[in-house]
Amino acid sequence: MADLPFLTIAEASNLIATRQLSPVELTEAYLTRIEELDHLLDSFVTLTAERARAEAKAAEATIMTSGPVSRMHGIPYCLKDIYETAGIRTTAMSKLLADNIPARDSYCQEKLVAAGGVLLGKNATWEFAHGGPSWDVLFPPARNPWNPAYSPAGSSSGSGAAIAAGFAPATLGSDTGGSIRGPAAACGIAGLKPTYGLVSRRGVIPNCFSHDHAGPLAWTCEDLAILMQVIAGHDPEDPGSAKVAIPDYTAALTGDIKGLVIGVPTTWLDDEDPPKPATKAAFEAALDVFRGLGCSIRPVKLPPLRQFDDAKKTIAVAELFTIHGKDLRTRPELFGASLRYRIIAGGLVRAEEYLNAMRLRADLARAMQSVMETIDVLMLPTAEPAGKLQPIPPSSLFTKSSFTTPFNVGGNPALSVCSGFAENGMPFSLQIVGGLFDDATVLRVGDVYEKATPWRQKRPALAVAETA
Amino acid sequence: MTEDEIVLLARQAGLNLPAEYLPELLDAYANVRRMIDRIPVGRPRGDEPAHIFVPGKFMPVGE
Amino acid sequence: MDHPLLATHSDFSDPTALGIAELAPAIRSGALSPVALTEACLARIARYDNALRCFVTVTADRARLAAARAEAEIKAGHYRGPLHGIPYALKDIVDVAGVPTTAHSRLMPGTPAAADAHVTTLLEQAGAILLGKLGTFEFALGGPSWDLPWPPPLNPWNTDFLPGGSSSGSGAAVAARFVPMAIGTDTGGSVRWPAACCGIVGLKPTYGLLSRRGVQPNTFSIDHCGPMTRTVRDCALMLNVCAGHDPRDPGSADEAVPDYVAALTGDIAGLRIALVRNWYAGEATSEITDGVDRAAAILSRLGAIVEEVSLPDIGDYCDCKTLISTSELFTIHAADLRTRPEAFGEKLRQRVLGGVFIRAEEYLGALRWRNDLARGLQAWFGRYDALVTAGWLNTAEPADPNHVDFFRRGRNITMPFSLAGVPAISVPIGFGEHNLPLAMQIAAAPFAEATVLRVGDAYERVSEWTTRAPILHSGDSA
Repeated sequence: MADLPFLTIAEASNLIATRQLSPVELTEAYLTRIEELDHLLDSFVTLTAERARAEAKAAEATIMTSGPVSRMHGIPYCLKDIYETAGIRTTAMSKLLADNIPARDSYCQEKLVAAGGVLLGKNATWEFAHGGPSWDVLFPPARNPWNPAYSPAGSSSGSGAAIAAGFAPATLGSDTGGSIRGPAAACGIAGLKPTYGLVSRRGVIPNCFSHDHAGPLAWTCEDLAILMQVIAGHDPEDPGSAKVAIPDYTAALTGDIKGLVIGVPTTWLDDEDPPKPATKAAFEAALDVFRGLGCSIRPVKLPPLRQFDDAKKTIAVAELFTIHGKDLRTRPELFGASLRYRIIAGGLVRAEEYLNAMRLRADLARAMQSVMETIDVLMLPTAEPAGKLQPIPPSSLFTKSSFTTPFNVGGNPALSVCSGFAENGMPFSLQIVGGLFDDATVLRVGDVYEKATPWRQKRPALAVAETA
Repeated sequence: MTEDEIVLLARQAGLNLPAEYLPELLDAYANVRRMIDRIPVGRPRGDEPAHIFVPGKFMPVGE
Repeated sequence: MDHPLLATHSDFSDPTALGIAELAPAIRSGALSPVALTEACLARIARYDNALRCFVTVTADRARLAAARAEAEIKAGHYRGPLHGIPYALKDIVDVAGVPTTAHSRLMPGTPAAADAHVTTLLEQAGAILLGKLGTFEFALGGPSWDLPWPPPLNPWNTDFLPGGSSSGSGAAVAARFVPMAIGTDTGGSVRWPAACCGIVGLKPTYGLLSRRGVQPNTFSIDHCGPMTRTVRDCALMLNVCAGHDPRDPGSADEAVPDYVAALTGDIAGLRIALVRNWYAGEATSEITDGVDRAAAILSRLGAIVEEVSLPDIGDYCDCKTLISTSELFTIHAADLRTRPEAFGEKLRQRVLGGVFIRAEEYLGALRWRNDLARGLQAWFGRYDALVTAGWLNTAEPADPNHVDFFRRGRNITMPFSLAGVPAISVPIGFGEHNLPLAMQIAAAPFAEATVLRVGDAYERVSEWTTRAPILHSGDSA
């Protein structure tokens, strides 16, 4: 029972399929652990224990008679609290949505239900996936399981924390500038921002239409592949949804990356925004692993990081204001200060400025795809290891540069995996980026790396808190 | 841009903000303005923004 | 009822009177020489265009060379298809390598364009013969204007009137039999309005069906290139050549292109047609209202099931489009507006300046509005095969710089199909006062050009409007 929460989806799924593990038992293990330990992390804002138990029981019954309908059958999962769930409050962490009870499930939730998943609850997020960390919104900010005084990054903060803490093996987050990959990096887990349009955003409360991506977080890349198989696919109700054939993501995890050509954006890493020495060393060590596996590494030149940031953030601030304009005009006090600061100036952006930012995006996207055509994957760190959880100036969103934003701008699939641990125990991260719709290759590369390194064997040591 | 001009722009946007929000608007807009000023302008007319209209996506989804 | 491509005409004394459908078999068989055809068109232009001012540039030398080449190819057995040897002209915002694109504007440098527009390449590959570049509103927007380097084109049916716009020269040139085919562009109606005013056929295809590469933009997300011809059959022949995916145009649709000529079966029995009568009854002139009603009755007699429907007021589509357009237009012309506003024609400057104040939130709001309007309009194609309405609410405007048409300002019956991106064709349905043409519009679902053409062609087979020709007068030198 003690080890159940640390099973991967793949492991649990195999045990369930061979009737060695009951979804009821598995669900109970997670619920118990959440009840015991989540007060340390605040990763859940809504727990759906009764529903979870009912779903687990139903799954058990079906599996006993006719076997699992999918690899997610009977597997507990949770959702960033921007994924609409019918009958279950969906707050986006905002006072504006405190009483919001959607009538209809989001597309991804529909898929997970159909796959037989067991909903444990909704996870903490930055306010509307954009303003945070915040102490003036509906719920307190989530914390990092590796050290609860540290930040799990955002905006899919609760999702990242929940996986690392062993509160669930599966979750969905969203990524507009890095909001899946950042938490995955900070929490030492795997997180995938899929190709833009691959996973339907229908029923996911928007951050910025033109850069939003829905995607999974989990302990391993194999688990991400299992989740992608459930959620990827065309949805005519999402205007950005791509119409492409969906491969078998788990079958694509062949373990073979010999001859892979890896590009490294050296102008970013050496000149524009050099990582700290320890982070750089961890990145170099990761590249050595790939060298040892028969891959070749070459420098590539991409446009400056700052241009990607300027384009995305100008577009985003205008789109965010469009989404929240009515509330900003009538009840600005209901916003957290961080979110309000980050969107209020969007009302002053002119259409010409927005269109020029979109033209810049077109340039940058073209440049990125041009470079990606010359390599198989691009690699770089995802982010610096997590820092302390404390208020950050909201202006930092505008001023700090990001290794994750460029792939929202280009729409390319981008994965973050754990690449070691710093002296203070906080995880290092590696970002792996592929060509458009080449999500399968990105997952394959991540899977090989995970199996060639020891990082997946270490879990955060979360103890039941003793009374202070 | 002067503070008055920004306030005027805000009013044009229908943002009749209470005085307590003005400092954050000014600060935030200063950051946004810096980004916008770095975005290339004076492009050839035909340089197209990354937005396209796809008419086929609006057809009723049939059975 | 026969409407043969292989018409056996033997009288080529005035080949400019014939359409592509009649010319093509004669050119293929050798009965008509491409050189003779091109010379006839050039002679007609030389004789009559001073009075009409359709052409900004006549590429006579190039045309003669191309015609000779076409003749040699065909004689050698290398026949490229129905457009081989057929003269054409381009709205002067469409690039031709080596020829200046003026956009009818002082803003353009007058230097030769570096490369062909994609649609030019396709026509050249089909063996068509370029005769020149045609007058337009300034940058397809500012017009009709008398303060530009060239005067506005006039209506061949009555030169006291204008030919509509912004593809003004294209409409007039085809009606005047200077060329049997031309390319125009349509953002809010700029192919269909001149087609309506000039008594010809003008198609705004589905957004993205024809490439916009090498065409000066008006509104990126609403611009369409469109064929302009005297008959629906000719339109289908031209569309066969010009439609198709262009990966270098970001808005280009990647859809299979059918044989549009094969779709002209002449049979519309059982076709469900929605007559959008609330858009024109009571607002269009009575001769237009009666004309469209009569045309709808003819479609009914041909076996179509015609039902009257009501759609949202056209003002909504116009306002939405104007917001989107003005934002994009301002962005396109911003550098020139800031550095040399005096070089603009007054109308163009006035129409784009407003974009400076439009905020991103308002632009995005217009784009969201567009989604609603497009979805709402396209929903009708779940129940009907085609929508029919008037081609324009009025006949051609007087050619008078002082004429101001307050009543029609901003109300545009072509706009809804622009906004929804669906194919819409303007087809002549008669003549009214002052000998000015009347027209109807036929629209269908995205990529259902075959339906639109089939309805237009069926109507055309039982009507005689395309056999009439304007009487031209050679004018004094400009």
